[in-house]
Amino acid sequence: MSNLGSLLERYGLVIVWVAVIAIFGFLRPDTFLTWSNFSSIFGSEAVLVIVTLGLIIPLTAGDFDLSIAQTLTFVSMLTAILSARMGVPLGYIIPIVLLAGAAVGLINGAITLYFRIHSLIVTLGVGTFLHGITLWMSDSQTISGVARTLMQYVIIKRIFGIPLSFYYAIVLAAIIWYVLSYTAFGQKLLFTGRGREVGRLAGIAVGRVRMAAFCASGVMGALAGILYTGTTGSANPTSGTTLLLPAFAAAFLGATCIKPGRFNAWGSVIAVYFLVTGINGLSVLGFRTFVHDLFYGGALVVAVMVSQLINGRKERAL
Amino acid sequence: MTSQVVPRLEIRGLTKTFGGVHALSRADLVVMPGEIHGLLGKNGSGKSTLIKILSGFHKPDEGTLHIDGKPVALPIPLGRSEKIGLAFVHQNLGLLPDATVLENLILGDDARSGRWFVNWTAEAERARRLFDQYHIKLDPMAQVADLSPVKRAQLAIVRAADRVSSHSDQASPGVLILDEPTPFLPIEDVRELFSMMRRLRDSGVSIIFVSHDIDEVKEITDRATVLRDGHVIGTFESANTDRRDIVAAIVGRALTQERLVGDVSGPSAPLLTVMGANGGTVRDLSFDVRPGEILGLTGLIGSGYDEVPSLLAGAQKALSGQLRINGEVYDLARLRPSDAIGAGISFIPADRPIKGLALDISLTENAMLPLAVRGEGRFRLDHGKRQQTTAGLIERFVVKANAPQQAASELSGGNQQKLLLAKWLQLGPKLILLDEPTQGIDVGARREIYERLLEACRNGAAVICATSEFEQLEQIAHRVLVFERGRVKAQLRGSEVTKSSIEASCYGETRTHEPADA
Repeated sequence: MSNLGSLLERYGLVIVWVAVIAIFGFLRPDTFLTWSNFSSIFGSEAVLVIVTLGLIIPLTAGDFDLSIAQTLTFVSMLTAILSARMGVPLGYIIPIVLLAGAAVGLINGAITLYFRIHSLIVTLGVGTFLHGITLWMSDSQTISGVARTLMQYVIIKRIFGIPLSFYYAIVLAAIIWYVLSYTAFGQKLLFTGRGREVGRLAGIAVGRVRMAAFCASGVMGALAGILYTGTTGSANPTSGTTLLLPAFAAAFLGATCIKPGRFNAWGSVIAVYFLVTGINGLSVLGFRTFVHDLFYGGALVVAVMVSQLINGRKERAL
Repeated sequence: MTSQVVPRLEIRGLTKTFGGVHALSRADLVVMPGEIHGLLGKNGSGKSTLIKILSGFHKPDEGTLHIDGKPVALPIPLGRSEKIGLAFVHQNLGLLPDATVLENLILGDDARSGRWFVNWTAEAERARRLFDQYHIKLDPMAQVADLSPVKRAQLAIVRAADRVSSHSDQASPGVLILDEPTPFLPIEDVRELFSMMRRLRDSGVSIIFVSHDIDEVKEITDRATVLRDGHVIGTFESANTDRRDIVAAIVGRALTQERLVGDVSGPSAPLLTVMGANGGTVRDLSFDVRPGEILGLTGLIGSGYDEVPSLLAGAQKALSGQLRINGEVYDLARLRPSDAIGAGISFIPADRPIKGLALDISLTENAMLPLAVRGEGRFRLDHGKRQQTTAGLIERFVVKANAPQQAASELSGGNQQKLLLAKWLQLGPKLILLDEPTQGIDVGARREIYERLLEACRNGAAVICATSEFEQLEQIAHRVLVFERGRVKAQLRGSEVTKSSIEASCYGETRTHEPADA
């Protein structure tokens, strides 16, 4: 492959993103192409970025975590109840809910590994179960009145006009990028996903690696849950649920750029912001909410098709 | 058998070439009604080509086929063989383990399972009658996964017989071709299978019994035909022919290969001792290997020699046994791959795309995996250094590659194998375990792989190489253990390690087990 070709492949999504911004900017320069519109996109979608980043860890190890959005909702509700109803200080709440997220990952991993069940089924069940707990805990009500400090540090304080939540997401992306690309653990995750037998015979404890990946995605789900509560100052027992599909779409779309053929952190970040820019632009043009589903669903399918094409071409290049 | 009887199956002058090489050359084969006919020959003798022509998989260049005296046009269209009276049972039996006996019996039988409605009660009744007829104790409602191996084999065979008798256009009991149904069965079960085959024969069915096992062929068949290098060497009456003559017919005269090894030069204290290993097919295996020695493991298919490397590498769970290397003793039942690697053992598996290399990942990541797992660059992988090291390995092991960053799938099989060898030999292992190290690899790459192994031996490592290629052992093995039914049957050393003596001992008479290093 020529250098230009590989460069185009790596940054193709960025180029498409810029093109999308240019088109909407041309059509609606006053409403779409404003810093306040973009800074609000960057801030409010940080939660989706973190969920996507959480997903790519087990995906790299060859497992699905369908429970991550429910972990988010559960943790968000737990945070709200502990803070608003019980008055527990944030300094205690944050470690407690992060542990709760890790525990969800532990349960997912233990069932998947011990009973050798596909993670798709296990996490689907565990996620639905968690949603039941969330509804039970909250009596299906939105709970507000969360300590204001949380909102302060998530959405109110801004740097260059962008809420802090965006920077948290970027820091997490940087950490995951580093772990996947520059540590031995990243290599273990990769081989656990792409050549499990090869890895096992090279001495990788593949069970432990998969367990760690589930726990990591549980913790990421919990972090997203904290930010979610901080973004709105309240917890809604259902709204986090809608993030699962967009996160999968972004994870697969992200795997077509920056490091094509692999789930990667920066690709995921770009994919999330590409998707939400598109949706934001369409709604500025006056399309209603149904475009969310069209866009996210379509993007997931297109992303998988593109990655299949990339892999297919590599096979044909033999 | 008089000449007035019309043969059930008559093949004349069957010829098939692949790229100018004769896989089968003017082969004749005559099977009489109600005869069990053995088909013997080494790998590559033309047996499988002949069977694949009968099943319609290959189109012959020349030759005729008559069944019950009527000519059959060749090639046989795929899926038509039952209609002309041929049915096949391959080694894997072709059963669905998760389905019941009855479901397997009518599986793929359009006349029974392809209708709008399956009358399960009537089908079960029919199945019971069929099993009674051949004295097989099978419950039509049992899950195939719960059956013993011999019951599965019986089911597969009775299914084939049933298909032929109910579908043949010729209204004859037909011919069953049993392609090595016995290697994975214990001896008692082989007897049970044989009595069933005799019942089938007595009801008029003809059977072609393909096997490596001369004793089995002498016991069960009426006559047998030996193939070698695509030629029919002869057909003989099984009971009246001397075993040694049969072996001579199968083996022929082997060309000797240049031996690349002499005497073991290292110290005589063993580097590795295996004591009482059990697991998979392997039973009570004990042996030792000296530093600088290349030990070959071989045997016929199903004899278990090929499981030894993975048992010693912790890749396959052993039931019991111990392994002593460098004065440390390991329990084989608890050995994990990481323990084996820690003990200085490197395992190069046969199934390269699944176990050897992750093909869609780069050469560097594949080659550097053992180092990363060992903890090199745990918190800071030095990509530049990793690529340099890989480039060095590529050069030293003569891997034809464009760049260390390219995907492993872009390399040819031989170069993948060299990379796999490099991946493990860079660790400087004490013991190198190989399973079919030159499978599907050209002569040049083969020679380079041998050089690497010999070099490791000169540096004091020991090599254990499991292979079905006897020429390879003749070239590089100091000593060879020949396996049969999971046990060591014979040991050959030094100048005894020749292709022909290995063949002779593989096909030779069963000896009682003796410790390999007596």
